[in-house]
Amino acid sequence: MHALLELRDIVKSFGGHRAVDHVSLALAPGEKTVIIGPSGSGKSTLLRAINFLETIDSGTILFDGREVGYRTVKGKLVLDKPKHICKLRTQIGMVFQHFHLFPHMTVLGNAMEGPVTVLGAPMDEARKVALSMLEKVGMADFAARYPASLSGGQKQRVAIARALAMQPRLMLFDEPTSALDPELVGEVFATIKQLADEGMTMIIVTHNMGFAREIADRVVFMENGSLLAQGAPDEFFGEHCRDPRIQSFIDRIF
Amino acid sequence: MARSAALTALLVFCLCVPAWAAPSGGQAEADALLRRAADIMVTGDLKGAVAVYLQVPAPGPEGDEGQFASSRMQAARLEFAAGDYPAALNVVDELLAVYPDNIEAVRFRASVTDAMLPQWRRLLRDTVKFVPHLLKGSVMTLMLVFFTILVSPLGGLVIALGRISNFRPLSRACWFVIWLFRGTPLLLQLFFIYYGLPAIGITLRPVPAALIGLGLNYSAYLAEIIRSGILSIDRGQMEAAEAMGMTYWQAMRRVIIPQTYRVILPPVGNEFIALIKDTALVSTIAMVELMRTADQLFNASFNVTVLGLAAVIYLAFTTVFTFAFEWLEARVGAYEQR
Ligand SMILES: Nc1ncnc2c1ncn2[C@@H]1O[C@H](COP(=O)(O)OP(=O)(O)OP(=O)(O)O)[C@@H](O)[C@H]1O
Ligand SMILES: [Mg+2]
Repeated sequence: MHALLELRDIVKSFGGHRAVDHVSLALAPGEKTVIIGPSGSGKSTLLRAINFLETIDSGTILFDGREVGYRTVKGKLVLDKPKHICKLRTQIGMVFQHFHLFPHMTVLGNAMEGPVTVLGAPMDEARKVALSMLEKVGMADFAARYPASLSGGQKQRVAIARALAMQPRLMLFDEPTSALDPELVGEVFATIKQLADEGMTMIIVTHNMGFAREIADRVVFMENGSLLAQGAPDEFFGEHCRDPRIQSFIDRIF
Repeated sequence: MARSAALTALLVFCLCVPAWAAPSGGQAEADALLRRAADIMVTGDLKGAVAVYLQVPAPGPEGDEGQFASSRMQAARLEFAAGDYPAALNVVDELLAVYPDNIEAVRFRASVTDAMLPQWRRLLRDTVKFVPHLLKGSVMTLMLVFFTILVSPLGGLVIALGRISNFRPLSRACWFVIWLFRGTPLLLQLFFIYYGLPAIGITLRPVPAALIGLGLNYSAYLAEIIRSGILSIDRGQMEAAEAMGMTYWQAMRRVIIPQTYRVILPPVGNEFIALIKDTALVSTIAMVELMRTADQLFNASFNVTVLGLAAVIYLAFTTVFTFAFEWLEARVGAYEQR
């Protein structure tokens, strides 16, 4: 069985600064990977590179076993035509730290936007899909509300429903609970956990070690743009952690 | 022989001319009265002068040489100047009883009765007289306003999108358009389009020239407002839209531009109110709209009421806009409160 997503030797620099430094990573279908690491270590940049919000300098991205997203022109990587990029993005859902809900649309409107505008689904069909996803995240009762009237946790759950309405094959979460008040983290966590249990393939960037322990099949530790270590959560959070840098990072977090 | 004939002619001439040129007894008396009245008037005794003028007798059946008419006109003017309108009216009526067709008297009577009207009646009459003309001019003003409001947001959007485009030549070109039309007076642009373009073989009639000038100028202004609106939207919105697979244009149309409305509405309202007043400038390129109509009526009548009425009409238009935009603002931004 081939990996759903494979990253080979991804490099991304900003000016002279290497944000992602030769990162390779493979994700089997249904696998949940949690990325942890100090601030500025390149976690977001890596995640954003996966759905082409950042263009990489070199490396290969394979989706479903096929090289995707870039062509090589005169030895340089050039992003594919927008049409292809958009097609790929429809299969990858992304959830942001600050939600980025569309404030001028209702909750239902947010969840319907992808199916209607991107997939060209008929209205009634899109509404059905959107409502079922809002149901799943427990926000169906808020369908007619505007995002401004929701709590942070509710907003993030709507954002998850919005991504799910596209029926993606891979979900990317960039610190989904970092902007939330502590008492709101639980509801979002439960939603993600439920999704994980349903078998969604996902990558979660988080500083929340509870996520890592409960959801991850594999934890990846990132520092200075490189993957320093990866392993099952038990290996990471057990007594016998191998790497003193990881150990000290985890100690700092707790 | 010839000499005696000439002498006879001279004699006849000398005998006849005085009879034809010199006033008869009544006429001489009337002339004397007129002169005396004028002398009294010079001393400042207007009532006295009037009394003397009124002594000029009405002409007999053979008529007079205008002494009666001029005496009554003079007396009426003096009464009018003294503010005694009924007396002036009496005097001029006396004249009209004899010469009902005296045009000068008819006109004077009209202006006396006019002056006797209370101020509000006069205002009302002027209003009824001028407003239809001004409203007719307003039709053109409104036409210019509505056309520009229709066209300039679209033009502005196109220029704004070009300006933020990554395609350098396009963004430079849009920058240039904005620079040009914001950096020169609208009046100059209108002159250039109407009087200048014929030099390169493009001759426009006033209406198209005005529409092009206003359209371009306001597109340039709105472009900067729209651009600032787009830039004010959090980058995350574009990323979220793109992350779900939207193209740049889909994201602009569905996500970014609708969110700019509540940001740009107040400055756009400002521009449109300025536009209503700026349409007055097209009166300089041979267009008859509200300002030009008011100007023409004023020059013909020297009646300041015309200008006041024009101001009221402009104010009415801008007031409607002010409230319309307040209403729109409340709707468009409502999602932020709910
Ligand atoms: N658009 C950008 N331009 C310049 N530098 C950038 C840009 N985005 C990220 N960087 C830099 O790249 C490095 C990695 O940033 P990134 O956001 O990926 O870190 P992170 O691991 O997600 O950190 P955090 O935990 O704070 O979110 C940082 O040094 C950051 O300053
Ligand atoms: Mg980050």
